[in-house]
Order: sequence, then C-alpha cells, then structure tokens
Amino acid sequence: MKSDITKLDELNRREFITSAAKACLGVGLLPMAGSYIHNNVNALEPGSRPATARYVIYLNMTGAMSHLDTFGTNPDAPDIQGPTKSIATSADGVFLSENLPETARHMHNSAIIKTMVTSQGAHEQASYLMHTSYLKRGTIAHPTFGSWVSKLSGNINTTIPSNVQIGANPAGAGFLESKYGPLPIGNPSAGLANSKIADYLDETRFGGRLAMAQKMNASYLNQYDQKQVRAYSDLYKDAIKLMRSEDLKAFDITQEPEQMHELYGKSNFGQGCLLARRLVENQVRYVEISRGGWDTHDNNFEAVANNCADIDKALSGLLLDLEMRGLLKETMVVLTSEFGRTPKINPRDGRDHWPYGFTAFLAGGGIKGGTVYGKMDKVGRNPAEGKFIDPASLNATIAHAMGLPLNDVQYSPSGRPFTVAHDGKPLFDVLA
Amino acid sequence: MAGRKVFTLSLLFSFLLSSWAEEPFRVFTTSTGQAFSGKLISYVGQTFYLKGKDNKLYPVQFKQLSANDQKYLIKVAQSGTVPKGDPRLLKKETPETEPSPSPSNDSTPDKADPVKEEIVVKPLTKPKPKLRAGSFFAYKPINLGQDPSLAAENTVSAIPEPGEPVDFTSHVLPILDERCFSCHNAPYEKNGRTIHPKAGLRLDTHEWVMKGNLDNTVVEAGNLEDSYLYEVITLDEEDDMFMPPKGGALTTVQIDIIKRWIMEGAKASAGSGEAISSDMSNGVSFHQHIFPLIEERCLDCHSEPYVKNGRTIHPKAGLRLDTYEAIIEGNLDGTIIEKGNAEESTLYAVITLDSDDPEIMPPKGDPLTEDEINMFKQWITEGAKENPTDTFAKPKEEKVALSPIDGNNEESIVEKLAKRLKAPSKPQMAAAQKSGALVTLLSMRHSMVRAEFSSGPNLIKDDAIGALSGIKNNISHLDLSRTSITDSVLGEVKKFNNLTWLNLKNTSVTDRGVENLSKMPYLTYLNLVSSKVSDNSIATLGSLKSLEEIYLWNSEVTKNGIERLRKALPDTKISF
Repeated sequence: MKSDITKLDELNRREFITSAAKACLGVGLLPMAGSYIHNNVNALEPGSRPATARYVIYLNMTGAMSHLDTFGTNPDAPDIQGPTKSIATSADGVFLSENLPETARHMHNSAIIKTMVTSQGAHEQASYLMHTSYLKRGTIAHPTFGSWVSKLSGNINTTIPSNVQIGANPAGAGFLESKYGPLPIGNPSAGLANSKIADYLDETRFGGRLAMAQKMNASYLNQYDQKQVRAYSDLYKDAIKLMRSEDLKAFDITQEPEQMHELYGKSNFGQGCLLARRLVENQVRYVEISRGGWDTHDNNFEAVANNCADIDKALSGLLLDLEMRGLLKETMVVLTSEFGRTPKINPRDGRDHWPYGFTAFLAGGGIKGGTVYGKMDKVGRNPAEGKFIDPASLNATIAHAMGLPLNDVQYSPSGRPFTVAHDGKPLFDVLA
Repeated sequence: MAGRKVFTLSLLFSFLLSSWAEEPFRVFTTSTGQAFSGKLISYVGQTFYLKGKDNKLYPVQFKQLSANDQKYLIKVAQSGTVPKGDPRLLKKETPETEPSPSPSNDSTPDKADPVKEEIVVKPLTKPKPKLRAGSFFAYKPINLGQDPSLAAENTVSAIPEPGEPVDFTSHVLPILDERCFSCHNAPYEKNGRTIHPKAGLRLDTHEWVMKGNLDNTVVEAGNLEDSYLYEVITLDEEDDMFMPPKGGALTTVQIDIIKRWIMEGAKASAGSGEAISSDMSNGVSFHQHIFPLIEERCLDCHSEPYVKNGRTIHPKAGLRLDTYEAIIEGNLDGTIIEKGNAEESTLYAVITLDSDDPEIMPPKGDPLTEDEINMFKQWITEGAKENPTDTFAKPKEEKVALSPIDGNNEESIVEKLAKRLKAPSKPQMAAAQKSGALVTLLSMRHSMVRAEFSSGPNLIKDDAIGALSGIKNNISHLDLSRTSITDSVLGEVKKFNNLTWLNLKNTSVTDRGVENLSKMPYLTYLNLVSSKVSDNSIATLGSLKSLEEIYLWNSEVTKNGIERLRKALPDTKISF
C-alpha cells in the first residue's frame, strides 16, 4: 500500500496527465465539466401541453416568513393583525402589508394563495416537504423540485446547467442522477468558480500551449483513432468552448451597469435576484434564491419590516426588470416559506411557528394576474374561503405551468415510484 | 333481406348505367385532420370501405373519422343505399352488377393522400406455401380431445387474411410470445428470486396488455398515435426505447398485425374468459370482478382461521373476506359494506385512503388502482349483490381532467395554426437542428415548433437560419436573441408564415430588418429590447395589428415614437 508521501514522488500516469493538463493549459477543469459538457444530450423534452412558464425563479424565505405581516394580511381581524397596516395594490381588491409598497405595484401580474398548509412545524422537515413534495424519511433522499425540472425537461441552454441554487442549499438531486441537482453558488457576486483562464496566461500564450499539446497528441491520435481517445480530446475542446463562451458571462453580475445593481438593492439577496435574471436570460430553467432571517420569535414587527425593505426592493426590481426585457411572459416568480407564523402575538412581541394558513406569492408566466385564492378566518386557523393547499399542490401548480408531466414516474434505487409533485393537484384558480 | 338488397342494387344500376357510385366522391377527414377523397362502397360493422381516386380500396374505421363524416356515414348506412359486407366478397356474389372501372377514373391523377396509405391493408409479402395434396405439412394440428371436424373449421391461421379481423389469441399473442415474453411475462421464480417483468409491464394476457404499467397504458384501442406499444416497435432501431431490444425488429407482417389489431379496437378474442371479466358495462359481478381481486389482495390476512406451526392463525381484525356472506357480515366492529352507499362503507374508505396513510388497505404492495377502486365503488353502489340483476345504477364519473381547464376557452392563434398543419417528421427536425438551434415541439404531438439559439448564441451568424427553412411553416416561436445575426436574416424570417413569437433582443437588427416584418399575419409577441430599432420603424410596427405585446426598452425608439405606436396599436401592451 502506497503512503501519501510515496504518492507525492511517484505519480501514476493518470495523475500525471491531469496535473500536466492543469499546468500546461492553465485550467482546472470546470467543476461540472464531466457531467454537463460531455453529456449534453438531455435536450428539452416537450411536455404534454405547451408550457406557459418556461423558467422559474423561486425565492425561498427560510426561517418561515410571517405571512400576516407580508402577503397574507387580514384587516378584518385586528386582534391577530397587530400593528401592521394593509395597503391597496395595482390589482383591485387585493391588499398587501404596508411593508411591501413597491411589490404592491406589480400585483396585476401576480397571484397570492392565502390558504397554504403544511403538515410539518419544524424548519428542516417543512422545508424538505416544500422542496420535494414528500415527507422526510430516513431511508431515502427525494429530489428537490428544481432537480425534477432538470430531469423531466432537460436543458434549453446545453452549455450551462439548468438548475441553480443561490444561497443555502436545502437538498440535492436525491435519488436522481447528481447532474440534475442544483449547481450551488454561495456568493452571487463571485460568479462561477474555476472557469477563467489563469491570470498569468494571455490569449497568445494560451493558444501556443494548446497548439503544442495538440502537436504532441497528433501522432498518437493518428495511430489510435478510436472513440475513447477522441472523447478525451473532445472533453478539452468542450471545456475550452465553455470557457470562451458568452454563456459563462451569465454568471458574472459585474457586467451589469451600476443602476441595475441599485434597482435590485445591494443586499446579498438583491444581487442574487440580479444573477437569477441573468441566468434566466441565458435560459437556465430553475433558479432558487434563499433569504434567511425570518424566524421572528422575538420582536417580530421590527424584524419583518427590516427584512421586507430588502425583499421588497429585490422582488419589485426583479419583476420590473423581467417585464422590461419581455421575460416575465415566460418566467414564473414564486415567493414562499416553509410555513407561516402564529396569528397570536407572543409576550416577546414575536410570532411562533404556524403550519396552518400561510401564503405563497406567484407572479409572471402562467399566472392569472391580480388573483387571490382563499381567505383565512378571523383566528387564522382555517380557510373561510377556498380549501387548504398543501406543498405538493403548490409544486403541482408550478409543474403544470411548466408543462411537466405530473404522472411521469421515476423509480428510486429500491424500485419505489415517485412523481414530480407526489399527490398534488394543480390549483387552476391561479393559473392563466 | 339480402335478396332485396341485390334487387335494389341491380335496379339502381339499370338506371345509373355509367357507374356504381350511388355515393359521390367526397372528402373525408380524420379526427387528426388528415383529408382523403373517396367514395363509399360498402361497410361491415364499424369498418367502412372507401374507394379512392386511384381505384384502390381503403378500409377505414368509423371512429377515425371526423364528426361530420360520421354523421354522413350513419345517414347513408341507414338509408340502405350502400351494401353491407366486404366489397371483395360482394363482387363475387353479384358479379353482374360490378361495373368495370370507368376509364375516366383511371386517368385521374393519383391524388391519394400519402398519409392515408398507412391504413391500406398491405398485401402479404409472404405468399402462402402451396402444398402437395396429402402433404404432412398441410394438416392442421388438433388438440387432444377435440373434435377434428370442428377444429379444422375453427382454426384461424397465424396470419390473418386481408380483411379478416385480427384475433388476439391466434394472431397477436403468438407474436408477443415469440418476441416479448422473455422480459414481459408474469413474475416467476428463478434461483430463489422472483423475477418481475421489465418496466412492470406484462404482455402475457389481453387483460395485462390493455392494463399497461404504472406509467400508463400501452395500447389505446383504435388509436395508433397514443399506443405506446406500437410506437416502440416502429421506432428507429438505434433508438434507446426501440423494442424488442434483442433479436432485431419485428417483421413488417408482424407490425402490421399489431397495427390492425389496435385499429380494429384492440379486442380480446371472442369467448375468452378475460373478455368477460374486464367488461363491466353490464354491471359489476361479485364472482367475476370483485372476488378474484379480493382473493389476490386480501385473503393473505382476511381468510378463515388456519393452523401454522401448531398455532391457530386468526384473520386480522377478526374480519373474513373469503366468502360473500362473510364480507357482508363484517366483524365485531360492524359491517364493512353499506349496500348502495360506497362513501359510508368502511371497505371502500380503507382502500381509498392516501397511499402514505398507515390505515390503508392492502397494507402491502401497491394500493388498488383507480379502476379497481371504481370497480368496488360501482359494485357497492349497485347494491353489493352476489349475483347482479339486470338494472344497474352507473356510478358517476369522477375522473379529474388535467389539461384544458384554462380560464378562457378561446383558442389561441397557435392552437388554431397547429390544427391546420402536420407535425414535422423526425428527419425534418434533425435537419433543422443543424442550424445550431434547439428545435422542439411546443408540446408532445403538437405540430408547431419552437426554435431557439440558446447555447453559445454569439457564434450564430446569418447562415444558420437556412437550415430552418425545411420546417418554416411549423415554426411558431423563434428566438434569435443575443445572436450575431444582421438585418438580412429577417428577409428569411418573413417567409416563416406562421410565426407568432419573435425575439430579437440584444441583436444588431435595425429598421431595415424590421421592414421585412410588415406582412407577418400572426405575430403576437415581438421583443426588440436592446436592438438598434428606431422611430423609423414605428409605421411598420404600427401595421402589425395582431401584436399583443411589444418590448422596446433600451432600443433607439424615443418617447415620441412610443406615443405614435400607442395610437396605432391601442390594445397592444407596449413595454418601453
């Protein structure tokens, strides 16, 4: 058995080639090179009906947003409403909390589901259910909704991944192939790691090195003109193509003018939304952005107002920007959290966990603008109008708009059948 | 009856000397939009024989035709002007009434729709071997205990004659046996392990073939396009889904038999037991429908007490389901069936629980299928009788339709255009892909296509668009955003007559290019964001009355131009 130290001076052939390629070509191959570039055969599968939303930007309010102080105000019930006021919006008869004045201008393109319900009251389990439509179990990892989108529809832009996660990462591809899982981006301003030519190489020297590598390979390639040999050089070609491709610029928000950064707000979440818009412009199918800080057991009203300043600016900026560019027609923006917060205000002026009757905000592609589905009763516990909508049905609604087959069965390794939205039924009331 | 018909016919012919045609040539359309010009000759059951202008016979299923044609056929059939029976046999019966085809008919150019020819009964490629009288091979095998004379009459040859209805057991099953059973058979034991059929699909009986697997059914009676079984055997042999995966494709004759069987309604063989058991149109029978299912899924736990390893095993929950009386009696907790009321029946409640509910029955294996549950419901609603009577209350259909529930029933332009066109073929799509564009149908079996240059658009130049011209009428959505195209491309784009959605965002397109768009009749979405289009294009854009939305942000159009455009297109959404 070789120790690590002997390995250091005795490289095997493969290691030698890898490090030689890194040194000569100045590239560590892109993180997803092997899976995406080379297997870019999973092109877009047409759904069973034309999609009304081709892209989804999912804004995930982790920690559970207080629905009563944001999208689910109930002016009829001052007892549970606390100090938060309601304001009119661009859609007749639809009200939002005073914390969201900018978003209120976009309600004619948006819909709110006011009777969301979930069976889980703890963050992790509820978030898992929200993302996968299935309950968290010890024996299996279910794919996230974005992974389903990637699996069932394939890439539109075959150069870059179709499922991107900005911020916290709740779960991955589950039992699906890992290439369908989200490409994680921690810091939206940093772009995609390991995808640039090294600083010390200029274009001529890089070209020179490539030419030399090709020259060295030439006789070998001539002699062994085989599929596997060609595949190896193709991999390099593809990686270099992506490195030089315009598509890679999708990840680089520094290319945006200053006023764009300001439109979205300089917060991490705002910049994440800006990146999401760039990605959707480059035809990435599913982008999720997480925004924490909503677990307001204490001092709820001040904390929510502060958070809302961020998300109001970012969300309204996103909706405006998508609309200007003609992208909102085919892009659905979803904002929701794993559950809501108690109608009862606790002694510390906070609100606690509340899985009954929270809200989901949907805007843009495939959505019937200016609609509100359902209404909660005065104590905020049961629907006064409409039915409870569970996470699976929310996912089914999004999947329907994306034209995904709700009955397409994928089998886990143990042979159990799963579908994109479990037993959820699309809520046609909010779909155009 | 038959005599009268012959008489009427000959009478008619003595009047209409020139030709046979009591029924004129007319254009028949199928429900999928294909058209065919022909005249009705005769009919057998649901099959109508049409004579095309090429003088060939085309048997067509009643169901395939459009509603208008169906009305026409019913009218003609009821008026009795058309004979009943296979035209080829009719000829023999009434040779004197058969006119020779008129020369004028022959000289008409052959206009038979190429699509229609799929339905022609192909002449069999293999001629029947002629056997010497008394040859051993000429004898038909007869099973033991069978009356030889009857058997000789009843045997159906392995290959149906043209026009002879395809029989599942004698024609289709042998093909499945030969080519499919090795993977798609009933589960069996091998080396102590149970081998399940691949993809959960069994093809060993008619019932299973029709049932399909968890994904979906594989055979839709009378509908080739929706029959997955037919699709996979006719795929390109290189295709991953091509069946059978080993041993090469089915022969054309075999494929033809399966095709005809599906088109003829995918029926089970007459007299086979399954045919009765799957047919519930006359009500659900306890012995034929309900009990076999209970036997399979419930009796492991709910059977009469038995002794195992010296212990008496009692039925779970004290509930026996092994006889009709026991089922009706229920257990100590009460009855499990409320006759006539499925919703109140415990039995029905436990089989319809959520699949992850701990109380669901059966607790092991898959939950009952929707059809099985409906069968229980219908049986209980009909009174949960042991022997069904003649009258039945039909349970309400409670299937949730998923597709066309959009708020407005108004058909969009794209859907209207789609109905006029045929979907592009696979080679056409492949040729279009050569442009570097991703070319996809809007949805499965849609005839309209979206073409978008999504990967590395900066490398796309003017010459790319040429490859799309092969499907130019099918392209409804075209995305040229971020590409390096110039104005001259729009000279080509204007030939895409059915374009509804055009994206020219972030391109160097100018007013000269936009001029080409003035004659696009169906354009509803136009994106000119960050292009070089200026106020000079307002007149052209204003003439596009079909536009529903137009995006001009960051172009060279001024506020003044937008005002003029608003006046020209008052109902259009203009984003600036």
